[in-house]
Amino acid sequence: MIEALEFEFMRNALMAGLFASLICGMIGSFVVVNRLVFLAGGIAHSAFGGIGIAFFFGIPYLVGTLGVALAAAIIMTGVVLTRKSRADTFIGILWAVGMAIGIILMDLSPGYNVNLMSYLFGSILAVPKSDIYWMAGLSAVIVLSTYFFYRDILAISYDDEFARLRGVPVNLIYFLFIALVAVGIVLIIRVVGLILIIALLTIPPYIAEKYCRSLARMMIVATLLSMAFNLSGLWIAYCYDLTSGATIILVAAGAFFISMVADMVLKKLKKQGKEPPVSVNPT
Amino acid sequence: MKHPIIDVRNVYFSYNGSPILTNICLQVPEKEFVAFIGPNGGGKTTLVKLLLGLLAPDQGTIRIMDKPPSKVAHRIGYAPQDMSINKAFPISVLDVVLMGRLSAHSWVRVSRKDIMAAEKALESLEMKEYKDRKIDDLSGGQRERVFIARALAADPEILLLDEPTANIDSHGRTYLYNLLKELNRTKTIVVVSHDTMVLSSYVTAVACINRDLHYHDEAEITQEMMDMGYHCPVELIAHGIPHRILKTHGSGE
Repeated sequence: MIEALEFEFMRNALMAGLFASLICGMIGSFVVVNRLVFLAGGIAHSAFGGIGIAFFFGIPYLVGTLGVALAAAIIMTGVVLTRKSRADTFIGILWAVGMAIGIILMDLSPGYNVNLMSYLFGSILAVPKSDIYWMAGLSAVIVLSTYFFYRDILAISYDDEFARLRGVPVNLIYFLFIALVAVGIVLIIRVVGLILIIALLTIPPYIAEKYCRSLARMMIVATLLSMAFNLSGLWIAYCYDLTSGATIILVAAGAFFISMVADMVLKKLKKQGKEPPVSVNPT
Repeated sequence: MKHPIIDVRNVYFSYNGSPILTNICLQVPEKEFVAFIGPNGGGKTTLVKLLLGLLAPDQGTIRIMDKPPSKVAHRIGYAPQDMSINKAFPISVLDVVLMGRLSAHSWVRVSRKDIMAAEKALESLEMKEYKDRKIDDLSGGQRERVFIARALAADPEILLLDEPTANIDSHGRTYLYNLLKELNRTKTIVVVSHDTMVLSSYVTAVACINRDLHYHDEAEITQEMMDMGYHCPVELIAHGIPHRILKTHGSGE
């Protein structure tokens, strides 16, 4: 691993992985406790439409994807806030339509054929320096907003009705954080791809949630777990010459599986320990 | 009658076209201890949500402390009925109670004072020793007490408790009602409940809600009220409450 760090692309990949872990650990925890995984998936997929728009109209990639992702995020959040019971249907529609628009516009764009595989699995080994700066900036924004609005996020995520009664600007903060989710997704997709982002948003926070007593700890533990998955995944991918994104996912999934089995075993042991000793009736 | 702190006039509310509440009038004077009784689906919780401004009436007006409900909701301590939502959430008991101290206009979200107030609220419900536990680790009854502590944390003028005793054992109930009686000296209290028998020795007024509302500003619960409220005869057994004489109320109620 050490000799691998002599290559600049490897150093960049490492940095990108660490920032992606921080962003995913924080917003992933927000997404998981608010049961917004489907919405995050919807944003990630509809953002693909932004790539099509960017190529077709010749505007910068980041403008196209950020624009579409933010628009999708605002529409989806609006639906979630006003018609919760129908939200999943609307998200499903936007999800599919976004991808379809992306593909049609790419068909119509002359001479360019973006590799769908690289959108799905990213290209962490080809991350430009500029993307790392973007991610560093976004990480700072996410950490600061979470610190500043921590109590509000906690109240909104746990019991939004009560938060509203206390005068917390629920809708505003909800929009703000889902916008952060959207921006985070767009930046990280380039690095680790669509599939890995869903994995990083869900697996580390889900494991962390089980062992943490507070949302703040959950965010920290999820970030650390995510970093561990990224580093070990990259290392394995480097050693065996595998696709890095897919390797990281399998490492995370392996940890998820181990934590689940460990939980089941622990539960069983606890139960056995609690059971009163079988009394033998002398008569 | 004293100036009402809760003033509901001719309120109608329907959901998806079916009427839930019709022509509700309710004037609760300050420091009253009101019980909302009535069958499931009779509209008790809906009325509570209207009083909090979480729902808006189709017709009629609601004034709490002379203002529209949404303007004064932060001065009402509210404990909702359903505690099972978001059970696995990673949050400590103290953090749940601290939610009750949130306000719209402060940059410092949690001060020492807030923590002290939250701990005091927990103490009044005998739950202080659990303050660092994860909410998920508590039993249903303990969770309910935490939510009542959250309602008390901001020292509200009105307490609105929606079925606070559904999961609490009889010792806990007596303890809670004695606490409420104590709090009633400075606060107006509204309790939605089915334990009419326990209630009747604590409350100062009863509102029977079953799409419409009948208000009795004397605390006895009569057979007639039960029949009307629940639409089927409910046996009234008054355990050791000798002052409770079940009289019929006049027609025109």
